[in-house]
Amino acid sequence: MKFKISSFIKAILGTAAIITITIPNIAIAAENSTNEQITFVRLTSEQHRNSIRDIFGESIIVDGDAGSVGVREEGLMAVGGRRLTLSASEVESYEVLALDIASQVLDPARRATLLTCLPEDASKVDDTCASEFIDRVGLHLFRRPLSNDEIDAYAAMAKTAAQNLGSFYSGLQAALVGMMVSPDFLFRIERSVPNPELPGTRRLDAWSRASRLSFFLWNTTPNPTLLEAARSGDLMFEAGLNRQIETMMLSPRIEDGLRAFFSDMLAFDRFKTLDIDSNLFPKFTKNVEDEAREQTLRTISHHLLNKEADYRELLNSRETFLTPALAALYSVPIPIHQELGGRVPWVPYEYSEDHMRIGLLGQATFLSLFSHPGASSPTLRGKAVREHLLCQTIPPPPGDVDFSLVRNADHPDFKTVRDRLAQHRDNPTCAGCHMLMDPIGLALEIFDASGVYRTTENGVEIDTGGEWVGQEYTDIRELAVLLKNDPTLTSCLVQRAYNYGTAREPTRAEVQWLNTMHLQLREEGVRWRELIKRISSNPDFYTVPEIVSTED
Amino acid sequence: MVRCTSWRAGITTWLRIPGPLSLKLLIISLFPAPILAEETRGYVISMVHTATYYDEQTCPNGTNGSRPDVLIRRIMNDGYDQEEAVRIVSNLRFNGGRDDQGNLVGSAIVLGVGASFDGNQSWNGFDFNPANVPRVLQDPNAQNAQGRYAIGLNLDGKVGPNSWEHPITGETGIDNEMWRVLGCWDVYYVNKPINPYNEGIAWDTAVDAMPAWLISISGENLNQDGEVTVTFDRALNIPLRDAYGSIMTGASFAIDPNPRSHNVFKGRISDRILTIEPGTFYMQGESQFYPHLQFTETQLRLELNEDGSLEGHIGGYQPWRDYYHYLSVRGETDGMIDLIGIYYDMKKYADAEPDLVTGENTAISAAYFIEGVPAFHLDDEGTLLANSVGPGPKFSGPAVSQYSNIGQ
Repeated sequence: MKFKISSFIKAILGTAAIITITIPNIAIAAENSTNEQITFVRLTSEQHRNSIRDIFGESIIVDGDAGSVGVREEGLMAVGGRRLTLSASEVESYEVLALDIASQVLDPARRATLLTCLPEDASKVDDTCASEFIDRVGLHLFRRPLSNDEIDAYAAMAKTAAQNLGSFYSGLQAALVGMMVSPDFLFRIERSVPNPELPGTRRLDAWSRASRLSFFLWNTTPNPTLLEAARSGDLMFEAGLNRQIETMMLSPRIEDGLRAFFSDMLAFDRFKTLDIDSNLFPKFTKNVEDEAREQTLRTISHHLLNKEADYRELLNSRETFLTPALAALYSVPIPIHQELGGRVPWVPYEYSEDHMRIGLLGQATFLSLFSHPGASSPTLRGKAVREHLLCQTIPPPPGDVDFSLVRNADHPDFKTVRDRLAQHRDNPTCAGCHMLMDPIGLALEIFDASGVYRTTENGVEIDTGGEWVGQEYTDIRELAVLLKNDPTLTSCLVQRAYNYGTAREPTRAEVQWLNTMHLQLREEGVRWRELIKRISSNPDFYTVPEIVSTED
Repeated sequence: MVRCTSWRAGITTWLRIPGPLSLKLLIISLFPAPILAEETRGYVISMVHTATYYDEQTCPNGTNGSRPDVLIRRIMNDGYDQEEAVRIVSNLRFNGGRDDQGNLVGSAIVLGVGASFDGNQSWNGFDFNPANVPRVLQDPNAQNAQGRYAIGLNLDGKVGPNSWEHPITGETGIDNEMWRVLGCWDVYYVNKPINPYNEGIAWDTAVDAMPAWLISISGENLNQDGEVTVTFDRALNIPLRDAYGSIMTGASFAIDPNPRSHNVFKGRISDRILTIEPGTFYMQGESQFYPHLQFTETQLRLELNEDGSLEGHIGGYQPWRDYYHYLSVRGETDGMIDLIGIYYDMKKYADAEPDLVTGENTAISAAYFIEGVPAFHLDDEGTLLANSVGPGPKFSGPAVSQYSNIGQ
């Protein structure tokens, strides 16, 4: 894939200087002449934003998202990120962002903190100072040292722009924009080296290890300490690697990594297209939607990081956090503490033992994300549990299925969706999959599409009973316990966490040790810190599987 | 920890907040009334406005019109003929209110900006706003509401020559002289679901910034007839809105511990109608229109709806200057009335609380529509005091009520 950068650089450097960057058009990997395997994983919008923040400071405003939503593979956007390239319009969007960021970075008020040298004359070229800036900033943007050729190329870009525009800083700005629209920044480029411990195999080089670790644990670019560990070679050795992991685990940034993982695993990308009909569900305002998302992340973060509790208990935990609007949606009382500055006051809340609204499945996030705009959907909810929590795959419905009965909420004979789905399952083509999905979702029918509690549908009492792997349940509370005890729940988490960190499916050998680790964790307690520590400290996490070209 | 039983059968919520008192104990300690409260339901007031009702008898000679009609009459009182008065009003935006000779007709124009306006105002050459000293202008003798019916309450227990009959309940002896003053102004000449525009817009604005007004009802069994305690409180927080702009039901409110707006009444539920024994009422607001609302001899008639909401009327004798202030602070343009006419009529029809020196009545019988939707009440420590019961109405408050019947 080729794309040209950039209209801005073209304008200031002249037509002859247009740079064409080539990204190897590979879905998984490419091999160069030295047999080095290189893989590309596109940064998510959040990772792009976090990187800019961490490199240039929190005062830099990243005004917008440039990249498309992406694709989900193996249940994760992170794995799909390996399939992503950049369209011409996305490059243009990144360029607009880069221009804005570069102008902020080199603003007279900020430049002194980022430049370690000053030009003798700000209206003229200063190659030495420009090269120093490019070398230093490039290390953080590309997450590896720049080669001399790269430094020279960007310095030449800065020089031409400075000459054309009569400003040293405008020259730097051009070079900075060039670096920020480079694939080396927008993609996590993982390079491999021969693995001396297992001759014939390859493993990530130290710089790529730093990136993989940092984006996995912190969802951001490696910090100077990690880059230094890469430079020194510490990351290539068990002791040095574990030292860095231990340090990173102690950082509050670990929560960023957790939030990013669960946002991916629980399909929060659906929020971008969520369209619960506020005419039918007026309590579900945009604010409530945003707060519901935050409620789920706060609940998970508190449970897994603050309490260091077992992941399984998230299914039937009664502890959560609420805002006034969420409490109104759920119709529960919360103490009101006004906060200065108009901040949303989050309040810890615990439901009673007999309350129906428990666990992640009782939160508005899950209930709304897997509903239709105008009605709840037992099928979508059941499918989501199977696919996102249990790593199972439900095939799509055949193209000629008639859904009119299921969607006819005013049907005179089938007043509840349970009745309508039962009729729908009379079609043998549909029955197989619906038997897998519907019973789970029907247990959640006491919550409408917005998450508001209800006891009846069209005047008929809602029946939430069902069966899970031969065991009957009467309501969401009993179902949550059955799901919690199902080993598929935890094996799915382990698998997803590993796939998320590596942005690929595990190899057969990796599956074996993941299974072993899963069994150990089930005995010891499935705790998030322990899980990501074991994954990130395992040599397999940095092994580069042999790639079989799909183009042959 | 406080336990409260939700309106849904079989569901009990626990609020894990330290609190030394159980709900029952707290209710008993707060309310001196000898009612063993087994249940307390909370509401947030979603709408308040002057109670209106009109029919063909209300203004048999026509209404007073609206703002342009006021200006034309006032200019004609200054000696202009109707044709020129209409011309002056029509050109108001272009020449600031000048006659054919270019003279400023200030007396007609200036009241539009209201008593709170402190810019360059003049009336007949004097730098002051006559809304603040209305007696400097002559009584325009506006039309007053007549007829048989008006919304309100029988405040004095009597049926007198000025009493009205309630158009819905048929109750006689209704005291509402405020309606006599306001009823023939176009902005008040409306029936539900239309609200008086000036008050509706004022409440709509205030409700997003003003600490909420709350009602709670305590009794042994609120689903049956019986004695209850009715409490009005002010909250520390403001109401939430839903996607319709209605007041969100099921929201939580912390009660302001300041006793100034704490009003407790003995009450009774009979056939789902809530009434109270008369008493004084004071609620502090934070609104241009309602800096406060206060009555003596307060009475109440609220219907408890199946959806958990309540609606009806509250009334009593209100200092008439309070209401004149509400109108004057927003000006004639907003109120679409003749402030001077309102002033004189309020003085004329005030029917209670004579001034000890002048003997003039300082209060006027009045009635307001109020609506409440289910809400949780807690104290400022987080202890639950009143439960939110029922889903509430689909529409509530000022933003949607005028359109709530559309399509139904």
